[in-house]
Amino acid sequence: MAEVKIKRLHKRYGNFEAVRGIDLDIPDGEFTVLVGPSGCGKSTLLRTIAGLEQISGGEIQIGGDVVNDMRPRDRDVAMVFQDYALYPHMTVGKNIGFGLKARKMPPAEIASRVSGAAQMLGITSLMDRYPRQISGGQRQRVAIGRAIVRNPRLFLFDEPLSNLDAQLRDEMRGEIKRLHQEISTTMIYVTHDQIEAMTLADRIVLMRDGVIEQEGAPLDLFERPATMFVAGFLGSPKMTFLPGRLARGGDGAAIVLGEGSTTVPLPADRALDGIGDGAPVVLGVRPEHVMRAREDAAMPGHVRMQATIDLLQPTGSRSYATFRIAGTPIVAELEAHDVSRPGEAIEVDLNLNRAALFDAATERAI
Amino acid sequence: MADVALGETPPSIPRRNLPSASRSDRRFKWLLVAPAALLILAISIYPLIFSIWVLFVNYDFQIPGHAFVGLKNFEQVVSDPVARYSLLVTVVLTVSNVLIELLLGLAVAMVMARSFRGRGLIISILIVPLFISPVVVGQAWALLLQRPFGPTNYLLGQLLGQEVTIGWLTQFPYNFIALVLADVWQWTPFMFVILLAGLTAIPPHVYEAAELDGVGAWQTFWHITIPYISPMILLAVTFRLLDAIRLFDTIFIMTGGGPGTQTYTASFYLYTIGFAQFHLSRATAGSWIFLILTLLVIIFLVRRLLKPEAN
Repeated sequence: MAEVKIKRLHKRYGNFEAVRGIDLDIPDGEFTVLVGPSGCGKSTLLRTIAGLEQISGGEIQIGGDVVNDMRPRDRDVAMVFQDYALYPHMTVGKNIGFGLKARKMPPAEIASRVSGAAQMLGITSLMDRYPRQISGGQRQRVAIGRAIVRNPRLFLFDEPLSNLDAQLRDEMRGEIKRLHQEISTTMIYVTHDQIEAMTLADRIVLMRDGVIEQEGAPLDLFERPATMFVAGFLGSPKMTFLPGRLARGGDGAAIVLGEGSTTVPLPADRALDGIGDGAPVVLGVRPEHVMRAREDAAMPGHVRMQATIDLLQPTGSRSYATFRIAGTPIVAELEAHDVSRPGEAIEVDLNLNRAALFDAATERAI
Repeated sequence: MADVALGETPPSIPRRNLPSASRSDRRFKWLLVAPAALLILAISIYPLIFSIWVLFVNYDFQIPGHAFVGLKNFEQVVSDPVARYSLLVTVVLTVSNVLIELLLGLAVAMVMARSFRGRGLIISILIVPLFISPVVVGQAWALLLQRPFGPTNYLLGQLLGQEVTIGWLTQFPYNFIALVLADVWQWTPFMFVILLAGLTAIPPHVYEAAELDGVGAWQTFWHITIPYISPMILLAVTFRLLDAIRLFDTIFIMTGGGPGTQTYTASFYLYTIGFAQFHLSRATAGSWIFLILTLLVIIFLVRRLLKPEAN
């Protein structure tokens, strides 16, 4: 049980700076997900917290202790690796208990803790097997078991589900979430998968090029992205960005898209602090905010337009349809039977009440 | 039925069209194997069978005729104290050579498994002895150790501050130390190279997991490093053992088996009996005994080596 405080953290490898001055407070018991594209510094940050990497500057506190110069073993943290990192020459039971044995815990205590962890993870029947005799999902359970028997004050996960197939990944994701609800120890979880981030996190820390781009609750980041990068990273299919210019007239603001062929009026209550007439902006529309027109007229804040479907990707429950607005391809998430084939021309409504608007120059939200 | 027809060989019509070609094809493949087969027959199979005959007859350049002598050749070898002594020397030298090479090779490999500046250069230099002929190695060490002209005694004298007059090639136990020194110098790199390959194949995350688990350095070595590289250790030891058992070259060059028969190994003993004294049937009997003893070691090691990972 511990909170983690990170102050002005830097990590350099020669001339390359992987982490460039990060400040982060993680409250006790929270599930924090570090997410971002490859090379954004999220794994490096996690490894500095574990003590597997020396930091180049700043401070890391775990449970109030400054751990900058503390050895990994003394930090009382446990880590689960992407490739499981099990000891191949030990049985599952020995793997889970080895850390306790190394710390000279009495055998009876080890046995009871190991069997407790095995029960929690449903691997009791595997205790005498070797890692090579069990499946990937089972191996990852063993690795998690090895972490929880130690009863550490902090759990670190480094892309633990990346080596599993899609179905197993969904299943294990649920298990990790359940585990956190049961033991409610602070957990920091690294992933590049935005769905893992959204589903698991109490809080998402979205990183880019060694700095934090935005942090907050998953739905906050999803609905109110601070930058175009955040907006594009979270959500699948991605948000569509439509470049245009702001046109401020007497009867409200509108955006002139592309070369001027299409104009979409913005909702009247849309705040546009300090953005002048003609300023270049980017309108961000998520797939679920485009729907097939059903009423006679568009609802307030919605814009009706014609769409000729280029590409249709049914998923069963919903269908992703791609069409063009002012030359830019946009993905719409429609009802399964809204469109039957590519080439079909339909009317769609864009819900601009929930669309994002960005300054084209700074790429920041307006 | 259609499926069965598909699985059958094509009808024989095309083959009937080319009878001579297919027959010469069949002859040609035998022709290709023939040289190798004849070579093996001539220099390996024939002498082996011939040697079985030699075992039971008199085949001695000093005694004319090839009379049947029963097991007398074996009796002579078994009752020869030099034969038994040479076997002991072989065991002692083999075990100490391979053991020292393993420990030294492992230590060097552990150091070289880390990355540092100049690592590639040092590794290249370290494996140079592997490329040198054992005869040259023996000659070089003989020159270094030779009394009174070799520099070894002089350097030791400078170091200890008093005159050193060790007969490295003639004086017990220094002659054995010299033989071990030459062998270890030449073959430690072999262990080192194989063990280094094993060490660098250990995934670093396993060490990191152990570090976070609070596993100490010594426990990490015993419970992670050693189990990981144990197949490599077994492989390296097997190869080295098979080679070390027939130690001959350095003995021949450095001590000539001397003083007297003190540094006779089994190979050197058999060479002396067969090709210096020309008791060929006795040497053959000794060779067979040595072969069977060696086979026992080989079978044990190769079985372990081929055994799939323990379950």
